[in-house]
Amino acid sequence: MEENQYVVLKKELFNDFITRLAGIKKLVAPVSKGFKNFAYEEVSSGEQIALKYIPTILPAKKYFMPQNETLLEFNTGKKSNVEAFVEYEPVTLFGLHTCDIAGIQCLNMALSERPKDYNYLSRKNFITIIGLECNEYCDEFASCHLVNADFPSGGYDLMFTDAGEYFIVHINTESGEEIVTNTEIFNKAETFHLNELIKIRENKRKIFSNEVPIERRHIPELFDRSFRSNVWKEVGERCLSCGNCTNVCPTCYCFDIRDELDLDMKHGRRYRVWDSCQLEPFAKVAGGFNFRKERFVRQRHRYYRKFRYPVDKFSRFFCTGCGRCTRTCMANISLKETLSQLVRESEDRVWKRWL
Amino acid sequence: MKKPKIAFFDFACCEGCQLQVANMGEGVLDVLAAFDVVEWREVMSEKWDKKYDVAIIEGSITDNHAVERITKIRKKANILIAYGSCATIGGVNGMKNNFELDDIRKYVYGESYKFFPTELTKAVHQVVKVDYFVNGCPVYIPEFVAILKAVLQGIPYYVPDYAVCVECKLNENICMYDKGVTCLGPVTRAGCNSWCINNGNICYGCRGMLSNPNEKSARDVLAKYNIPIELIINKMNMYNKCREII
Repeated sequence: MEENQYVVLKKELFNDFITRLAGIKKLVAPVSKGFKNFAYEEVSSGEQIALKYIPTILPAKKYFMPQNETLLEFNTGKKSNVEAFVEYEPVTLFGLHTCDIAGIQCLNMALSERPKDYNYLSRKNFITIIGLECNEYCDEFASCHLVNADFPSGGYDLMFTDAGEYFIVHINTESGEEIVTNTEIFNKAETFHLNELIKIRENKRKIFSNEVPIERRHIPELFDRSFRSNVWKEVGERCLSCGNCTNVCPTCYCFDIRDELDLDMKHGRRYRVWDSCQLEPFAKVAGGFNFRKERFVRQRHRYYRKFRYPVDKFSRFFCTGCGRCTRTCMANISLKETLSQLVRESEDRVWKRWL
Repeated sequence: MKKPKIAFFDFACCEGCQLQVANMGEGVLDVLAAFDVVEWREVMSEKWDKKYDVAIIEGSITDNHAVERITKIRKKANILIAYGSCATIGGVNGMKNNFELDDIRKYVYGESYKFFPTELTKAVHQVVKVDYFVNGCPVYIPEFVAILKAVLQGIPYYVPDYAVCVECKLNENICMYDKGVTCLGPVTRAGCNSWCINNGNICYGCRGMLSNPNEKSARDVLAKYNIPIELIINKMNMYNKCREII
């Protein structure tokens, strides 16, 4: 921890800071929508921002991979002509929790793989991320400690930590440094500020603890043992296949690509939209065969895509513990509960082997 | 390419879906540039007695005259499109099927009811073959245009077979159930871009039910929100009563 990487923003200057930040480029922050729902939306003043919020309906991925994105525009006919498109807009995201930043880190890894997703990778260069650390749990659905996303660990330009009268701000990148310089509103961090930050983090370690009775390093093994578990059947019986869990997931990036012609049949565009492995048509192929027809197979696939497969491929979980999938599920399918059931069932089996 | 000849016909309905096209604004010019409209009672007085490339049918089939008429149109039409909830799923006219037909006739026509024969309300595909379905009450114009493009390209159009919730979530609406309001989005087919919920209304199920809903779990969800199953069935029957006819 070096002092020159930290600055301090007094709370009474927060609104001024936001106004100045909004003057640089489009500014997006969590906004209350009522009924305990929040969303990332464009803001121009500090009063609009909900500093204390539970994860938004959709994660920040909507700025990195829009719900409906043009990839190509083309002309038909003899002189066909195709033009690739990257739609982007410079934007600053303010107030992202560490879970949502972890989500972006996951997407960065997955979409940098070959074949690279140039649309995503180009767009991401125009997005500035300002984090806001959680000093306590947002609600009972979060499981950020389990997946190691409860503390800041990179992936942002600036990170705000609430220290009562002021924010302690970590500068992580050059564009973070630029914001500090251009807004001219931050003070230098003194040693006692950093001590305050250390105290906040120590206190956090007491609050955040494993939300599921299993050690992080044992999760992949648990999933290796649980492929034929009855827990999946039970989850499948409850699933309505509405796709909410994947649409709100910060690390789900599956999409469908479609072509659309104008009515004159001369011009058209190729675009992509978010898709979900939970929807029945998702795994339907030519000839009508569906290789994930049953709901439990689809749900199981979702969990393995978060806790097992990415461990081999990217050495990390693709769950950020934000709890959105649980919060949004009408059928009350709970991520923490499903994992706990798997743990219990697996323990039973281990015991039986010993007896 | 010669412009396909297109004709609009209305059966039992409010003709509001046709009005949606008339109300398209500038977009209607692109439609008229791509199709040759030969018959459309709501907006023009010309008639056409030869074959149609495309017949657009609004309304449900409710008596023997309608059956005869739709059969004739089908024979003359290369492609037939069921247009609007009344045509695609029977729609609100289906509520008639909640009652005895004679009771209905007496209620409407009084003593002379015997001169007015009637039948159970049917969706168009329950009487003749339908090539494309444009769901909705009223139809959602962007989807209608997408279907017209599919017709021009000669490819099928698949109505999404997943819940309205999918599109609703992408539009980042607050879930109606969070607001304490009962909504049919979880069991209704998407394709409307959650039009009603975007505008503060609930989903009434006008696009028809999912082909494979998880009924058991849906009941549990209703129980969780203390919603009696009868209420949901009533709500579903407002548009979807005709699905009981096989």
